[in-house]
Amino acid sequence: MDAKLVNPFIDAFISVMPQIGFPIPKRTKVYLQNKNITNFGVAVMLGFTKQIRGNVVYNMNEDTAKFIASTMMMGMPVSEIDTMAQSAIAEMSNMLAANTATNLTALDLEVDISTPSVTVGKDTQMKISNTQYLTIEMDLGGHKVDIAIAVDRDV
Amino acid sequence: MEKVKVMIVDDSKISRTILANHLSKTNFEVVAMAADSAEAIRLYQEHNPELVTMDMNLPDADGIECSKKIRGLDPDAKIVMISAMKDASLVSQGRAAGISAFLQKPVSTNDIIDTLLLLCQQKISKVAVLRESYAKAFERALQQGILNLIGVQSKINLETYDKRYVSVDGIAVIIGLTGYPVGRSIIYMSHDTMKAFTTTMLGTEDINEDEMNEAVEEAANIVVGRGASNINDVFKDKEMRITPPGTIFGSGIKIASPKLTTFKLTASTKVGEIFMNVGFAEGE
Repeated sequence: MDAKLVNPFIDAFISVMPQIGFPIPKRTKVYLQNKNITNFGVAVMLGFTKQIRGNVVYNMNEDTAKFIASTMMMGMPVSEIDTMAQSAIAEMSNMLAANTATNLTALDLEVDISTPSVTVGKDTQMKISNTQYLTIEMDLGGHKVDIAIAVDRDV
Repeated sequence: MEKVKVMIVDDSKISRTILANHLSKTNFEVVAMAADSAEAIRLYQEHNPELVTMDMNLPDADGIECSKKIRGLDPDAKIVMISAMKDASLVSQGRAAGISAFLQKPVSTNDIIDTLLLLCQQKISKVAVLRESYAKAFERALQQGILNLIGVQSKINLETYDKRYVSVDGIAVIIGLTGYPVGRSIIYMSHDTMKAFTTTMLGTEDINEDEMNEAVEEAANIVVGRGASNINDVFKDKEMRITPPGTIFGSGIKIASPKLTTFKLTASTKVGEIFMNVGFAEGE
């Protein structure tokens, strides 16, 4: 995986989240992984096509998902990951992916994004690459969101 | 046929009664009547009607303000303005507030019914278009794919899927759709079906979990790729592309795709049931 393609994802997270009411996120760790992704509770997957092909997964536990949904709904209490909360999390993922796409355009890479799939199921396994993928751990106001990325230039 | 739920907003009791009488003889069911804006908003949330008829003059706000508030709650709300006055300025303000149609009092039974029918048909036909032009392309791809991959005939059932999420126990392969229409496809099956499917596909029972997952992933890639090609063959001006697959395994998985119109395809085969769910975002 091309390291140049990673920053657009990180930059999107750092710039979009404060715009929708979250504290400024901090990047805590970046590392390559071979094994499957273990769903922390709620994991949103989006796919990319055109000059970049691959998938991104925003992985978080239920508490973090509730915190995100509640913040996006102006502080409305969220006690379970219901339809409203799923919509809020999907919407956040759409914004992150769209901003990532804009950042990739700056590298002269045109991309299209699929709609997000919100998967709920703690400890279920996800595979987004036949080889390695990159995990970026983000700290969002004390909550942990992992961004798992497996993307490549389409040759 | 199921009745279409309508809410009437009008400050005059007589107007409400006349309109309710017109509609009572038809396929529409008046589920709520509101005399002012506040009541309209409360009743809209309570009854979630498919159509709203709106008077221009309400005691606590005008019909345009009230429509804006309803559209704020539900951006898909379908509102017909029925007013004594109908001029260009009202129509343009009304359009900006999201009002779909305008009628002038007194309204004939035929006019109101034609207008309301037209509005709910727009909703019906949008789903019908997605089903006929897009979901069916995947139906053919699933049937051909199963036949080519494991040499088995299947019976496919296609239905509109209105549950909030897809439940998976076993394996699910998610492949995103980009271009037009944007969406995603999910091919999923139980662990037992996966075992039978992959042993038939590869002609050996000597395969481990990873190999089974990979085989299903590849099969899904072939089916979805073929479905997208079927669509691109017909709609030559628009190109649908597919993302690389993402595969999920485990039990009790729920996959939600908010705001998509989705279809469930069930392929009944001798190796078990193979499911596919395709979802499309409405509009461009």
